[in-house]
Amino acid sequence: MAVRGFQTSETDNDGHYEVFWPRSQRQSKIRPLARRLDTLAGKKIAFLWDFLFRGDEVFAVLEEELKARFPGTSFVNWREFGNTHGTDERKVVAALPERFQELGVDAAISGMGC
Amino acid sequence: MLRASAVCEKAGVPSSTLVCEGFLRQAAAASVGLGMPNIPVARVPGHTNVQTKEELRRNILDVTVNHVIENLTRVPAAATRQDEPSARDIVYEGGFDAVNQFFYENEWSDGLPIVPPTRQKIEAFLRCTGRAADESLGILLPDSRAASIWSIAVNGVMAGCRPEYMPLLVALVEAMADPHYGIEHSGNTPGGETLIILNGPIIKELGFNYTQGVMRDGFLPNTSIGRFWRLYLRNVAGFVLHKNDKATYGNTWRVVVAENEEVLTQIGWQSLGVDMGHAAGQNTVTIARYTGGNVIVSVSGGVREQILPYIADAVVRQISWQLMFAVGQGMGKLRPLVLLTPILAETIAKAGLSKADLKQYLFEHARLPASQFERILRDWTLKPTWDLAAEARLGKIPGIYHESDDPDRMVPLVWKPDDYMIAVTGDPLRNNAYVFAHNGLRGYPVSKPVRLPKDWDRRLAVLRAST
Repeated sequence: MAVRGFQTSETDNDGHYEVFWPRSQRQSKIRPLARRLDTLAGKKIAFLWDFLFRGDEVFAVLEEELKARFPGTSFVNWREFGNTHGTDERKVVAALPERFQELGVDAAISGMGC
Repeated sequence: MLRASAVCEKAGVPSSTLVCEGFLRQAAAASVGLGMPNIPVARVPGHTNVQTKEELRRNILDVTVNHVIENLTRVPAAATRQDEPSARDIVYEGGFDAVNQFFYENEWSDGLPIVPPTRQKIEAFLRCTGRAADESLGILLPDSRAASIWSIAVNGVMAGCRPEYMPLLVALVEAMADPHYGIEHSGNTPGGETLIILNGPIIKELGFNYTQGVMRDGFLPNTSIGRFWRLYLRNVAGFVLHKNDKATYGNTWRVVVAENEEVLTQIGWQSLGVDMGHAAGQNTVTIARYTGGNVIVSVSGGVREQILPYIADAVVRQISWQLMFAVGQGMGKLRPLVLLTPILAETIAKAGLSKADLKQYLFEHARLPASQFERILRDWTLKPTWDLAAEARLGKIPGIYHESDDPDRMVPLVWKPDDYMIAVTGDPLRNNAYVFAHNGLRGYPVSKPVRLPKDWDRRLAVLRAST
C-alpha cells in the first residue's frame, strides 16, 4: 500500500507521481546460527584472521586468557587457514568447514573488523 | 570477518567476530544481508592500531574476552526480519517535493533531488534493452539483493539518465556483479570511488564528453551515469553511510570518463577496451575503484629525458599504503591508471613508443627502494607479516622483488608491465596527465561489453523523435 503525500499548496505546480521502490528483494533467507557451546573448557577454538589491525597480538592475549579461565582449551593458529580477507578470500573461507572437520574445531574467533 | 563467521555458523561451528568499536553499526548492517542478523560480535574498544601494547592488552582482557565467551556460549536472541515492499510496489504517491522528501527519509536518495521513478519512465528505460525486467544479473553484497533489470531502470530514472543509456547501465551492473570486481568491499574505510571508462562508437552516439574537463560534471550522460552508479550501490547493494558504507572520508561519485578514440586511431594505440580483451570498435565499460589521484601538470620537454621520468615519478608519488595490493593483502592486484591528454599521447607516440612500451617504462622506472616499500607496509601501517625476501623465497611474489639483499635495490610497484592501465582523454591541447591510486582487489578492474538491442537504431530514433 503506497503512502499518500499531501499537496503543499493549491497553486503548487508540483505534479503528482506514483513512484516505485528503488531497491529489490533480498535473496538471503534468515539462517539459524550454530548451536552454542555449554562451556569452552576442553574445546578446540580456531583463530581466523584477515592479517590486519594487530590480530596476531589480539589472538595471543585471547589464547592466554581463555586457557587460564577454561582448563583444557586448545587453539588452532590463524596460520592454519590463511588470510580470510586477501586475494584468496573466497577460497580460504569456502574451505573452512572441511578444515574444521579435519582439525576437530568446536568454535571460531574471527577478526579483525576494524 | 563476518563473511567468514557466517560460513562457520552455517557449518555448525559457533563464532565470535572481533569488531572494533567504530565498526559495530557496519557489522549490524552486514549481518542482515548475510541472513544472520543475530550473529554475535565481540567489541574491541577504540582502534587497535593506535593503542600501546599495554592498552591493547588491557582492552582485550577487560572487554573483548568476556564478549567472546558470551558469543560462544550464550544463545543469541532469535532473528527477525523487517517487512519490505515488493519490487513492483508503488511505495508513494505525491508531488515532486514530497516524493523527494519521502525518498530522502528512507535513505533511497543521495541528497540531491531524484527524478520520480514512475511506471511511464521506467518502461521507457526497459524498452531500451532486450533483457526481461525480472532478469537478475546477480546478487549484490552486502545486502544480498537481486541486481534486476527493473531495479536498474528505476535507479537510472532517479539518477536523471535518459532511457537510451539503459544498455550502458546494464553493462555497468554486470561489471558490478562480477566477482573479480569485489563489490562486497565497497564500504571499506579508504572510501575509494569507482571510475567508469567508456569505449566505442556509443561515446559519440550518445554525446559523452571525452575532451576538455572530462572528469567534471556538466555533460548529461557522463554525469547522470556516474550518479546512477552510486545510487545503485546505495539502493541495491546496500552501501549507505553510517551503515554498510564505512568510508573514512569518501568522496562524491565520479562522472564517466570516455576515451578519445579519434586520437588513439591517429597514433596507432589501442583503446583501454581492447587492452581489457574486447574487439576494436566494441562498446565497452571498464570499472575499477580508486582511492585518489592527482593531476600532473605541464608534462614537458624531451620524451625520454623529461616526459617519461616525470610520469614515472608521479606514479610513485601517488602510491603509498596501496602497495599492500601488490604484496600483502592482494598479491599482484595493484593496477595504477594513468590518463594522458591527447597531445601528450601523440608526443610519446611520435617518439616511437607504443602503449606497451610506455607500460614497460613505468614498470622499470616507477620503483621504490625495497627498504621503503617494506617500511610503508610493515612499520607505518602496522601490517607486520610482510617481508619481501621471505615472500620471494616462498615463491609468493615475483623474484624481481628480491634480486639481492641490498635494502636500496629498486623494486617495482606492480608485478608486470601490463598491470599499468593507460587511457587517453581530457583537454586535447594541454600537456597534463592524471594518475589514479588503485584500491587493488577491493575494486579490481572489470570490463563488460555494452549489448545494444537488435533494433537499436530504430529505438533510438523513436526516442529522439519523442523528445
